Amino acid sequence: MDIVVKKIILEVKKGNQEAFSELMDIYKDKVYHIVYRMLGNVHEAQDVSQEAFLRAFMNIDSYDTNRKFSTWLFRIATNLAIDRLRKKKPNFHLEDQVAGTEDLTYYSQFSSDEELPEDQVVQWEMQEWVQEEIMQLPPKYRSAIILKYLEDLSLKEIGEILNLPVATVKTRIHRGREALRKRLRHS
Amino acid sequence: MACSKENIVLIHKYLDNEMTLLEIKQFQQHINKCSDCEKHLQELRKTEAITQSASHVKAPSNFTENVMGKLPKQPASQKWKHRLRKHPFMITAATFFLVFIISLSSAFGGDGNDIVVKGDGHFIVDEQRGVVVIPEGEHISGDLIVRNGDIEIAGEVTGSITVINGEHLMASADQVSGEIEEINQVMDWLWYETKAFLSEVVAFMSTENEENEENN
Ligand SMILES: [Zn+2]
Repeated sequence: MDIVVKKIILEVKKGNQEAFSELMDIYKDKVYHIVYRMLGNVHEAQDVSQEAFLRAFMNIDSYDTNRKFSTWLFRIATNLAIDRLRKKKPNFHLEDQVAGTEDLTYYSQFSSDEELPEDQVVQWEMQEWVQEEIMQLPPKYRSAIILKYLEDLSLKEIGEILNLPVATVKTRIHRGREALRKRLRHS
Repeated sequence: MACSKENIVLIHKYLDNEMTLLEIKQFQQHINKCSDCEKHLQELRKTEAITQSASHVKAPSNFTENVMGKLPKQPASQKWKHRLRKHPFMITAATFFLVFIISLSSAFGGDGNDIVVKGDGHFIVDEQRGVVVIPEGEHISGDLIVRNGDIEIAGEVTGSITVINGEHLMASADQVSGEIEEINQVMDWLWYETKAFLSEVVAFMSTENEENEENN
């Protein structure tokens, strides 16, 4: 593992809070991104990813420095995101989310009075559409697809994060990929 | 419409780069003949490309601050402990109350480059970095003079600060109630004046300190 990261973690283990903020600066975007893609909502993404870092800080003693830190951290984050999805609705669909007033989609997190160049608008619409398609996947396929295609992680790492055997990760990616294909092929 | 289940499994295996060279060759031969599998593979490739095009969203700008604000509050003494850890070369050279005057030279008046501090309170001298530190939670009542060293103020100083041949560093201007002056030229008169005053008190203080150390 990165020696700098390891040093920072040893400081955190001693109780140094300032070191923890350095650690957050390294990983916050990745954690936030994974959680955002899982939940599809900026408010909840912020809430859950902050919770993930708080848990990481509280449980830093249980982290084994011989293992990859990002794996441990992403595991906390994906578990919290999956918990959040479970609590929300038994069958979570994007239609419900759009109907809710408190929910923000990717596009609407940018203030509306801001003038945007048209190509950027198109790009954001495209982004929103990709996110909608990801949200249509059942959470267990969604997490595997996000970790593989958006975080570019190996099947082994995904297995460690999701606490699944590699064979199961493969199956989930195949099924998630098939589900996406059926929706995207005519686009 | 679709080809056999076995062949669809092969398409995924192919996409995951998990085929031997022979398997790849056989698979490609099948793709060339079977339009269903060819189409299926194309659609999956397109799916992968669209999924990967999802851009990386960044955490909001106040993210770290928000979390740091939610961490359990540390007692001041513990914070100070971390400061010490953060600077492994920091030496707690002395703890003086009432009037303290310190020179780190073994023979006072040696090369004239040693850190000299004059003030009243609790401080730490980091000889390696050449910094006099007023720790957080500590309070210096009255004026403070530092010569040949920088001063780092995390605590409070009620008087004025004079830094000769050094710089001052502090978290906020509220921490010093008086004025801060940096004198970085050789000002002989001040030095000699201080030195004259120091020699008297150091002689007096050194006997005091030995007594204190024995008591501790
Ligand atoms: Zn076929």
